Amino acid sequence: MSAGVPIWRCAGCGVAYFPEPLLCPRCHGGKFESGRVHEALIEEVSVIRHMIGQENWQPRRIASVLATGGPRMTVGLRDESGPGATIELFEEGTAPFGRAKSSA
Amino acid sequence: MFQNAAIIGVGQSAYTRRPEPGQTALHFMRDAVVAALDDARLNAKDIQGMAVASFSLAPDSAVDLAWKLGLSLRWLAQDTNGGSAGMSMLGNALRAVETGTAETVLILGGDATGLAGYAKVAANYNTATQKHLSPLGHGGPNGVYALVASRQIKKYGLEKSDYGHIAIAQREWAAKNPYAVYRAPLTMDEYLAAPLVADPLSRYDCVPVVAGAQAIIVARPDRAPKGRPGVRVRAHRASYNYDNQEGDGLQTGISTFASELWQEAGVRPDDIDVASIYDDYPTMVLAQSSDLGLIPGNDLARFCRVTIGERRFPMNTWGGMLSAGQPGGHAGGLNGISEAVLQCQHRAGERQVKAARLAVTTGYGMTMYRYGGTAAAAILERVE
Repeated sequence: MSAGVPIWRCAGCGVAYFPEPLLCPRCHGGKFESGRVHEALIEEVSVIRHMIGQENWQPRRIASVLATGGPRMTVGLRDESGPGATIELFEEGTAPFGRAKSSA
Repeated sequence: MFQNAAIIGVGQSAYTRRPEPGQTALHFMRDAVVAALDDARLNAKDIQGMAVASFSLAPDSAVDLAWKLGLSLRWLAQDTNGGSAGMSMLGNALRAVETGTAETVLILGGDATGLAGYAKVAANYNTATQKHLSPLGHGGPNGVYALVASRQIKKYGLEKSDYGHIAIAQREWAAKNPYAVYRAPLTMDEYLAAPLVADPLSRYDCVPVVAGAQAIIVARPDRAPKGRPGVRVRAHRASYNYDNQEGDGLQTGISTFASELWQEAGVRPDDIDVASIYDDYPTMVLAQSSDLGLIPGNDLARFCRVTIGERRFPMNTWGGMLSAGQPGGHAGGLNGISEAVLQCQHRAGERQVKAARLAVTTGYGMTMYRYGGTAAAAILERVE
């Protein structure tokens, strides 16, 4: 697990993307500065209660979030955070996850 | 408008939720081809072109299927545009016939993945899904469109029962379609009591995957069976990756071409007699209908409660995929076209819409990351 989620910011127009593009959809520039985004605002949440082809499936929560200064992305939620909450982002493998911000 | 190309035949296989052991997508596709040829009163040797879409062909490709069907062709295409593949293939076939590249083109889609096979397709749909969604346990397209549905409910002030009106009305149509896998009446109480699959979507909001295939034949109008009204395509448009996944998914690629489509067709949304709107989810039926201008005032709630709820507009008259079944996204886009053809030819049996003359059909698909990235639509017309 690593803190934050990778984003790619266009060196030409400054717009950030996830997942990584080849050319910027806005200005079609080909240079990106990679970085990480650490917080996001939850916009919608769903609970996946059934997975086709799976038995003994345990419900999982996913959310559409707006990353701070960055793009919208879909994350797995590791707690009961809901729409309107700001969460901290982390990455497991190549997948983005989120949970309530730690109070530290 | 296509002057030298028309739809002259349609055919389908049986649909089933659970194919028999040994029954593959190829068997269903063969049945659909035989039915379409029979409907068009053509022989296989008359076919000069083929377009095919299926999740189940690999490692074969379109030419291998041509070989298995014994078709020697001079025009061949394989389409990968998911729920809009049917519409995409229709456009390409019309242009191939219109320009004289081929006189007769077979359009074919079918799948028999089974539930486990479909789960693999859904988890590995593209790189973004494989790397960034599947590890979340996102539930395939159900999870993706659950989030889109939440946005739609919030933006348009919808209630859960609004989606129910679409599912219930389509089930009524399905009762009149012998090919539909779900034909028993559905009540609002049953709809609302159905188990949640991915909040807010419940069982009847999610398209059931079936095994099956659809075929359509496009040819010069003079190849149509004698004594049967032809079906001409007044306009066809498609869109691919319309917004780079930067929107909210509540509009589709149809929004980029709808005005052009109507203008070229020379008709208006309120001229339409019957509509086939790609229905993997009621959410996306509303999004496409909105883009097409079929919803007066863009009042989605009223459209559900009154227009559909009170059966004022015939939409997805074969039951839609929500009741008839989705034989893979690819063939799923073809069944709406087939139904529109049957309606315009007044061959839809018990579900015939009186005096149907003009139909709109759509396709929508390829869930790239946050929603679908492909869409297409056509205006079909009965020609005496």
